[in-house]
Amino acid sequence: MPSMNAVLFISFLLFSVGVAGVLIRRNVLIILMCVELMLNAANLNLVAFARHSGTVAGQAFALLVMGLAAAEVTIGLALVVALYRKKDTIQVDQINLLKG
Amino acid sequence: MESLLASIGQYMFHIFGLMAVGGALALIFSKNAIHSIVGFLLSMLAVAGCYLTLSAEFLAVAQLLVYAGGIVVLFLFVVMLVEMTKYKEKGLFQIQAPYAVALVLAGAVAIISVFWRTWFAPDAAKALTLSPGLAQGLDVANQNAQAVSRGLFAQYLLPFEILSVILLVALVGAVVLAKTERV
Repeated sequence: MPSMNAVLFISFLLFSVGVAGVLIRRNVLIILMCVELMLNAANLNLVAFARHSGTVAGQAFALLVMGLAAAEVTIGLALVVALYRKKDTIQVDQINLLKG
Repeated sequence: MESLLASIGQYMFHIFGLMAVGGALALIFSKNAIHSIVGFLLSMLAVAGCYLTLSAEFLAVAQLLVYAGGIVVLFLFVVMLVEMTKYKEKGLFQIQAPYAVALVLAGAVAIISVFWRTWFAPDAAKALTLSPGLAQGLDVANQNAQAVSRGLFAQYLLPFEILSVILLVALVGAVVLAKTERV
């Protein structure tokens, strides 16, 4: 049985890797994947606390977060495809239509 | 042999967790987008293993179905669609990467110092230990699917229904966004 600290630490590592990926990569697909990574880190925390408290609320909400992540990635990928048709690129630093 | 297996089983969560972090690092640092997706897949599978060791079996299977079965395939489709090799990437990382890494490291140091206090301080608070328990007469650990379904369909019905509406909106929105312009 893992200790609470181990779960929280692994989840923290996953989250910070996700934040770093969102901040440093140019490719918008990688950025979307890193957002998924952060959502998973939050899910891991929810499950761990559900286990700790002995109730099922955390697991139910982790399931809801999972569905929300699926919706988010669908919209994100549709946006990427539309953007690629428009601008012929998926590098975020070349998408500067709003730049004055 | 038995004792060896038992001692490995004790550290199963740590093994899966480190696999997840390794997959995430591969996702960030690989040049090829397909390699990134493989790293992402490894990370999601390892997180499903973590759920298993936390005795959330239903959630682990759902994680496998949703992520390994759905989202990874969706990412692969888009990678095939956008032909990443047609345009030479200027570079893997953004210009502001050093500042971003410094910022993340600063945050990490702050959080690790909190962990440090709980682990090594002389008056360390007693670390929380995971314990199974009862939820409305159901054992969450041993009757996982029943317990989760009761939570989802009785206790938290409203968020569940709202999620179904969100999924419908996402479905229609994705179709509208990705469909080709007609004349």
